[in-house]
Amino acid sequence: MTTATIATDHKIAVHTELVDESIVKWYFYAALLFLTTSMLAGILVSLQLIQHNPFTGIEIFSPGRWRMVHTNAVAYGFLANGFLGCLHWAIPRLTLHPVLDKRLSWFIYAAWQFVVGATAVGILFGEAQGLEWGETPVWIDPLAQVGLLLVAINFMTPIARMKGPMYVSLWYFLAAFIWTFLTYAMGNFIPEYFVSGTSAGAVGGLFIHDLVGLFVTPLGWGLMYYFVPILIKKPIWSHGLSLVGFWGLAFFYPLQGIHHFLYTPIPMFLQYGAVVSTIAVELVVTTVIINFFGSIWGNWSIVRTNLPVRYFYTGMVFYFLTCLQCSFQVTLTFQKIIHFSDWVVGHAHMVMFGVFSMWIMGMMTYLFPRLLKREWASQNLIEWHYWLSTVGLAVMAADLILLGLFQGWSWAALEPWDASTDFSFPFWVLRTIAGLAMFGGLLALLTNIWKTVKLAPAKA
Amino acid sequence: MNRSMAWTVTIVFGVLILIPSMLGFMMKFGELVELTKGVSDGGGFAITPVVNYLLASLGFFCLLLWAALNGMFRDLEQPKYLMLENERELDANV
Ligand code: HEM
Repeated sequence: MTTATIATDHKIAVHTELVDESIVKWYFYAALLFLTTSMLAGILVSLQLIQHNPFTGIEIFSPGRWRMVHTNAVAYGFLANGFLGCLHWAIPRLTLHPVLDKRLSWFIYAAWQFVVGATAVGILFGEAQGLEWGETPVWIDPLAQVGLLLVAINFMTPIARMKGPMYVSLWYFLAAFIWTFLTYAMGNFIPEYFVSGTSAGAVGGLFIHDLVGLFVTPLGWGLMYYFVPILIKKPIWSHGLSLVGFWGLAFFYPLQGIHHFLYTPIPMFLQYGAVVSTIAVELVVTTVIINFFGSIWGNWSIVRTNLPVRYFYTGMVFYFLTCLQCSFQVTLTFQKIIHFSDWVVGHAHMVMFGVFSMWIMGMMTYLFPRLLKREWASQNLIEWHYWLSTVGLAVMAADLILLGLFQGWSWAALEPWDASTDFSFPFWVLRTIAGLAMFGGLLALLTNIWKTVKLAPAKA
Repeated sequence: MNRSMAWTVTIVFGVLILIPSMLGFMMKFGELVELTKGVSDGGGFAITPVVNYLLASLGFFCLLLWAALNGMFRDLEQPKYLMLENERELDANV
């Protein structure tokens, strides 16, 4: 960027003109409302699996529906709202330009809450679309698609207005807006209207896979590349390496989707291609991990003293672990054992909660005091939130991953199905207890927000 | 490594690794398309996701070229310092 550009950009560089703080706050409130709903749904489903469903026989409380509410509310209600809130903070500050139109932002906010709320209601009343992670009733899909387009336009305008080389976070955001739009369209419309049977299955698998890798991952990494340096007050170790990570994700990630179809009639060269490109992504992930650990090297005490940074790095450790798992999971040998088992459920919680939710919680822990203009009412409660979430998740993930192996071996040994459900029972009880601990953590956060809003004196 | 050396290494790697791999992939993919023509369960369903991938990647390849030609990667480390400097100024201005 030339000196002249910096000067022009700096003319408008006043935080209050760039960032609409109230929308960030309201996105966070919405995210937490959906997280509460999702966790209650998760607890209900887990109670069903240990034969303690309190609502047996009531149709709209049937666990099959609440499972979909659980996953949809977490992905589109919690993660999407949490990310959108953080993006409303990060993008204007990174580009030094406000979003295209603040009224458009509020419109998108309202429309998105409608989409997610209507999805939950539609699912409960049996209107779900038969597509995993795309259960949003078909009549809402076009609305959601337009919403995603508006999000892209609103955020891409400040990025386009910026001049000079872009910081890595902006590369990730830019790509995420394009990918999410395309992924949503591919997953929700192609299998519904254009292809059927196995083809639809293949597209559906790619859709689930790309939602994690091309919507959640780039937004998560982009935000980490922004928040970590400003909190540890040190630039990222290597910007060049971070760009290698970005372009690596762009080119290797999408082809991996077929690794969900090992042992299917898909030609072996494509299955092997997916395995190889998954291994390539493991290398890409390693560059990202090295970069973040390189950045904090020599300054580890900050993880103890600064809670948001602790959240971020806990998420990174879980990220490393989930990716390590992936490199095993992608082999044909391993697939034989773990496919369809609780290993996968453990993996899903480790990545969605252990990584991305941890990062969002870290960003909320950092931003709420700034948004509310006062310190947290209780330091104890934010510590409780962290520890209950981390320990709860670690126990849940370890429990389910181990159980998955036992189930796989039992099935491989051709033991009766009942044997596997019998020995799964205590593991499922432990999952419920761990889930209650995670929910306890969330309650600590909600109480703390309430106290902070109501009780704590505002900063002068 | 000077610039011309870097270019030579890139081109040599490109020729040795990328071109044969791309050719191999295209041939295999072409065979698959041929084999599955008119057959309903011959694995042809894999074609849709692969074509999706190729189209999306083509777009990103163009973006990469555009970025390189516009000097986005000339001073690779500068954006990380500028970002922190902007942050400091924004916070000082509150
Ligand atoms: C109160 C805490 C939670 C409990 C008790 C819980 C429980 C459950 C249960 C019982 C299932 C269904 C498993 C099955 O079908 O066998 C499930 C699925 C899932 N949950 Fe949770 N969950 C909790 C929190 C979360 C959170 C916070 C997230 C994400 C941030 C999450 C993400 C998922 C995902 C992605 C799946 C789908 C897994 C798959 O299809 O393989 N859960 N959860």
